[in-house]
Amino acid sequence: MATLSSAINAAASALSVERTRIEAAVSNLANAESTRSANGQPYRRRDVVLRAEPVESFQAALGRSTATGVKVAAVVEDQSDFRRRYEPSHPDADKDGFVSLPNVDAPQEMVDMVGAARAYQANLAAIGLIRDMVQKALELGRG
Amino acid sequence: MPLDPLTLSGATGSVLKGAKPGATAGTGAGLGSSFGEALGRLIDNVEQTSADANTAVTGMMDKSTDVHDAMIALQREELSLQLSVQIRNKLVSAYQEIMRMPI
Amino acid sequence: MNTIDDAALVEALRQQMTKSVARQVAAAGNLANVDTPNYKAMEPTFADALKGQLQMSATRANHINPANPNTPGVREVKDAVARRDGNTVELDRELLTMQRASGDFAAAQTALTAKFKLVRYAINESK
Repeated sequence: MATLSSAINAAASALSVERTRIEAAVSNLANAESTRSANGQPYRRRDVVLRAEPVESFQAALGRSTATGVKVAAVVEDQSDFRRRYEPSHPDADKDGFVSLPNVDAPQEMVDMVGAARAYQANLAAIGLIRDMVQKALELGRG
Repeated sequence: MPLDPLTLSGATGSVLKGAKPGATAGTGAGLGSSFGEALGRLIDNVEQTSADANTAVTGMMDKSTDVHDAMIALQREELSLQLSVQIRNKLVSAYQEIMRMPI
Repeated sequence: MNTIDDAALVEALRQQMTKSVARQVAAAGNLANVDTPNYKAMEPTFADALKGQLQMSATRANHINPANPNTPGVREVKDAVARRDGNTVELDRELLTMQRASGDFAAAQTALTAKFKLVRYAINESK
């Protein structure tokens, strides 16, 4: 039963992680053409770094088995090069007429968003299944 | 005729036939042993349905038997047990009533 | 074929339920990490599959879950194909495993309940 409840925690950890991934994708899409961000540079794509981690680290430290959850290790800025487009009339064009645009690939962001949404749904379904199992186990105690 | 706990066919036949006075012609050995045979059949049935249920549930676990077959086998076992217990109870109370009769 | 007695059956049902729980927990961990780079899908190993291996040595990488070293009895799924980010978890496969584990658990629980009910009935009728 302890392991089953940790399994629910694992699935729940995925819910918030996938939500963060969706938010990052939405932010990237919204800023795909932002040539000026807070630091004066073009917007840099946000990347969510994930890490597997046992839930209930206290239990894990005691040597009891727990489920493996997931966690956002960091939200970093993608350091790959900006896109460059020839557009001399743009206010942010450089001396050669090129504009540096955010390193956001819109189709890839859409794919990431759909994947995150699907993973969210799956983990939600998983929580339901685990809860059903816990209820069945409790029924055994009922004379 | 074997007692089928699910449909209860054979119950009146096998159990009551022996109890009716004069109805033992054709059943062979007489009043007491038809009764005994009937009881023996009941107990055998309980053992049989119990063995079948355990086999079916084991089969369910290694996927060689369908879940519904295993569940039905379990219900047969329960009905068989309950039927034999109820009949035993009736027999015991009938016996006690007879013993209470003044001679 | 030998008839199985009730005590052995109850024990077998209990083990079936324990296995289902182990599968469920492993699948939940895999599903949570479907997007984690380089995460390898895990599955439980059961004692009967490890006959004779009483001591699990930590030097065998596949006996220890690298993400969570305190889960005894799990190993990486064999022949799993990794995607570009190194992840081997297949979402649909894990979801299916969880459905199956839930179903097996429920069936065993129902059978166990039925057996206990019988014993309880016999006890009550003996009074």
